[in-house]
Order: sequence, then structure tokens, then C-alpha cells
Amino acid sequence: MSENGYTASELMAIMTAKEFKDWEVAFVGIGIPLVAGITAKKFHAPNLNIVYESGCIGPQKYRVDFNVGDSSAADGALCLTSEWRVFSDMQAGYYDVGVLGAAQVDKYGNLNTTAIFGDRDYQSPKVRLPGSGGGNDIGSNIGRVVVMLRLEPLRFVEKVDYLTTPGYLDGSPDARKKAGLQGNGPVAVVTNKALFRFDPETHEMYLDTIFPGVDVEEVKSLVGWDLKVAADLKTAPEPTPEELAAVRSADPANLIMGGAAARNSLAGLDEYIAITKKYSGIL
Amino acid sequence: MTETNCANKQMTLQEAIKKYVKDGCSLTFGGFIGRDCVAAVHEIIRQGIKDLTVIDDSKTDMMDLLVGAGAVNRWEGAYLGYGAIGLAPNIRRSVEKGIPRKIELEDWSNAGISMRFLAGSLNVPFMATRSMLGSDIMKYNRRIKLMNDPYEGEPIALVPAAHPDVAIIHVQRADAMGNAQVFGFTGNDENKARAARHTIITCEEIVPTEEIRHRGNLTLIPFYCVDAVVQVPFGCHPQSCYGYYAYDVLFCGDYHEAAKDRDKFLKWLDRYVLSARDHMDYCEKVGWERLHKLMGMERHFNRIPG
Repeated sequence: MSENGYTASELMAIMTAKEFKDWEVAFVGIGIPLVAGITAKKFHAPNLNIVYESGCIGPQKYRVDFNVGDSSAADGALCLTSEWRVFSDMQAGYYDVGVLGAAQVDKYGNLNTTAIFGDRDYQSPKVRLPGSGGGNDIGSNIGRVVVMLRLEPLRFVEKVDYLTTPGYLDGSPDARKKAGLQGNGPVAVVTNKALFRFDPETHEMYLDTIFPGVDVEEVKSLVGWDLKVAADLKTAPEPTPEELAAVRSADPANLIMGGAAARNSLAGLDEYIAITKKYSGIL
Repeated sequence: MTETNCANKQMTLQEAIKKYVKDGCSLTFGGFIGRDCVAAVHEIIRQGIKDLTVIDDSKTDMMDLLVGAGAVNRWEGAYLGYGAIGLAPNIRRSVEKGIPRKIELEDWSNAGISMRFLAGSLNVPFMATRSMLGSDIMKYNRRIKLMNDPYEGEPIALVPAAHPDVAIIHVQRADAMGNAQVFGFTGNDENKARAARHTIITCEEIVPTEEIRHRGNLTLIPFYCVDAVVQVPFGCHPQSCYGYYAYDVLFCGDYHEAAKDRDKFLKWLDRYVLSARDHMDYCEKVGWERLHKLMGMERHFNRIPG
């Protein structure tokens, strides 16, 4: 918790929530992206419908989930179907917006969730990450993609070690179309310190909005290329009490945003079940 | 695909694994990090089956166990991570350090590998997809072919049909004949069962065929795909089984913490898998009270109509 009374993760979720519009269909991953989706539903997009890759369409969340295949992902769903069907619906253009996490992003919004090579290679990398999952599919097919990752050293790089999910590829005009990709590519990169967008001509990522208390030089020092800054650089407004209430109600026991520390602070299964039931209801 | 249909394909988990899962064979699993056939994977490890190829979408818990036990030679898949919990410790140790052995990796996207199971189920050699184009997934995986659509000329990716030797799929209920009914999301299970050479169904409950007929829409996998039916209550723990029991996130978190250290992982494996005689013994070790609490929690949210 910062001195302002909110955490960087909460501000990330609130800034991401603003990217969703009412009545959109959103393909969302687990973790902070889902918290952002639920926050949007609580706030300005009550009719946002969320789709999970396991095959859950439009669940009415009663509890938080830890996996896309958690039984909670199906709570009160409008449609429970197959994985290949929801990916086919994505390819056919039914989904409006996707939210993705990543370990690395480059200046054209290409994402790496497969491996950090270090001085090694694909088969024996320094760090093996989970892989694409549905990330590549979202980046290849959905019209509008929002990326969420923390602004930390070695995450914003000139070129990703492994291009798991296409952004604007080499940035050249029509690069996506020539490759056979659908959709327009990423529209925003939301971090714990700032929000970035992409130049419509060059497709290069630039600093669009800085968060309260962060300065431009700090952001530039964490980005691995000569970062351009918007002429009309904005400062994000402090989150309102209503926004903070919405984001907290999406993860009432702080079990997602709080990570392992929050889980370890529980006395045991009984307390976990009691908390889940206490906060159950339409999230 | 079963060789002979009959009224009763029931057997024990030990018998089913011994009969169909052989050293060096290829496997796929049902579910989607939820409704996973964890008990069957424990039995594969207990029987010491080796050199497996796993062809799958997103199946972290079971892959992490199998890789840590040294049973896997090759993985063709899309995702090996613990969602909100973190990265997969045994996968990392194998890929980064070759401990206990190095697995060969072939990355796909979830949609890409889904199309491989669809092609397998349709008995066609490949399927076209708009995923993976322009990415390093195609650069490192030479089995994804780029071609121009012969009708319109646009670029498209082709993926080969998957035909695993065995699919093991856990469902909520099945009859002895092998009709498998699923509640909740269905993953790629209908296609995996059809693409595989043999299919083992594990289930929470065996129900009479009359009960299956009563709700035929729920039968995801019909009898003629199925070789063996095994009743394995709590067969997904610590994963969830929609309508039956909730995800045991704390047990999973403890496993994840232990698995970060090789020695602690081996102790965990010995305690819960190798020294357990069978799945009932595993349930005993986890504790029936704990399992019933998870069942109570799930049924607070989802109660399957009887």
C-alpha cells in the first residue's frame, strides 16, 4: 500500500478496466487482467462479458479464480462449451478486446511469454516461462489488445528473446496483414508506473500517461530503447474511492493481488473456505 | 477407439494404466487446469512408465509431476504454468538444468494445438489456422507449415493432426459401457477422445445407462471412443471438478513451494504418490475431511442437477 492509500497493482487494474467498453466481449486471462475485467463490470461496463479459453462464456463471477479451468470459471456462465470452439469464435471475430500479460515486450508491442534466453537458447534457456497458452491466439486474432506487465529492468527491450505473441512485428506498415494476422494489434501497455500507447504511423510504443508520483526520467531509464514521449503527456488521475472499492470487491480477500503472501497468511483450508463464502455473491 | 464394444468396460486404475500406457507412448489428458486426471498420472508414476511424449494444450500440474518424476521425454503443447500461483518448478529445472533429465520441447499456441486434436478427430491430415503466423512459434517449430490459401491466396498456417496413443479423460459421470458425461467447460476432450488410439475414462461416479439416456445432450464422449472406464472419486485433487469439489489452492500452493527444491519435491512425491498404494490411499493421506470440505465448498456454488 502506497502513502496514497492504494497499491500499484490496484492502479494497474483500474487503468486496464478503463480500456473495456460496455457490452463488449473480452477474452481475459487469470490474475490482474481478470480483476480489471470485474472492476469494469462493477463500474462503467456492467454488461461486459468475459470469455475464458477453457470454454466458459459470460460467467457471473461468484468467487475469484486461480486458473482459467478452475470450476469457479464456470460459475453462472451463459454458455459452457469447448476450448476449440471459443478459439474458433475468436478467429471468426466475435471477441472485441483481449488482455494479456507478458515477461517481455518490445517497442512494437511484440510479447515474450516463452523463454528468457540469457546467453543460452530456446531449448536450454536461462528461464523457461509458461509458453503461449492462448496469448498468441489473442494477439493474432483480436482487434484490440491491452498488455499488462510491470515496468522493471529487462522487461521493456529493443527486441524480445522469443516472439510468442505478435504485436506490430517489425513495425513496418501492413506487417501484420502481410503475415496473415487479423485485428489491429495492441492499443495499450499498462504498467505499475505508466501507460504506453502506439504511434499509428510508426507503430512504435510511446509514453502516453504517467502515474501520480512517477517521473519521466525514471520511466525512460527502465525502457531499453530511446522512448518517445507524447507531446501532450498526461498524468493519470488518482483513483477515486468508488474505483478502489470496485477493484477491491473483485478480489475481496486479496488472494490474487496479494499472491503467495496472502495465501500463506491464511490459517488453513477452513479460513480459505470461510473467506470465499463470506465474500461470495456476484463479483 | 475401442477394439470391442461391450456392456462393461470397467476396470481398476492399475489395470487400465498397465494395459494401455506403455514406455515410449504418447499421451494426452482431458480437462484444462481443472477436471485434470491427476490420479491417473499418479498411477503412471507409480508404475514407473518412462519415455513418454505428452501432447497437450495447458496441463501444468500433471506435467510438472511427470517431468519431476523423470517420466517424460518430449512435450508438444501450449502452456506450462501455475496461473496466478507462478511458474512450473519441475519444468524449469528440466529445461534449464536437465534435472532429472532434459525434456524436448515443441511449442504451440492453445488454438494451434486445439486444431491438431480437431484434425485428428476428423481423420484429416491437417487443419488450417490463423494463429502463430509471424511468430517465433513458427520459427522454432518446423511442423507448422506456412502456405497461401489455394482459393484466395492469403497466408495461413497448417498444423498436423494429433493422434496420441492414449487419451486419459476425467469426467463427472459415465456408465459402464463408456458413455462419458461432462458438466462445466469441456476443453478439447471430445476431440482428444476421438483422435487418440485408446481412451481411458476416469470418473467421479458410475451411473446406470438409463441415467445417461435421460440426459443424452451431456454425453461428450460416446462409448465407441472408449476402451476403459474407471471410477476414481476425487480423481482431480488438488484441481477442481465442477459440481463435485473446489480447487484446493492451498494444497497446490504448498506443492508449488516444495517443488522449487528438488529434494523437497522428491519427499513430496514419495509421501503422496510413491508410498501411496493406490488413489484411495492418496485420499487417506490428503485427508477425507479435507476432501469433503472441498466438496461442500463447490456445492455451495455449483450443484449438478440429479
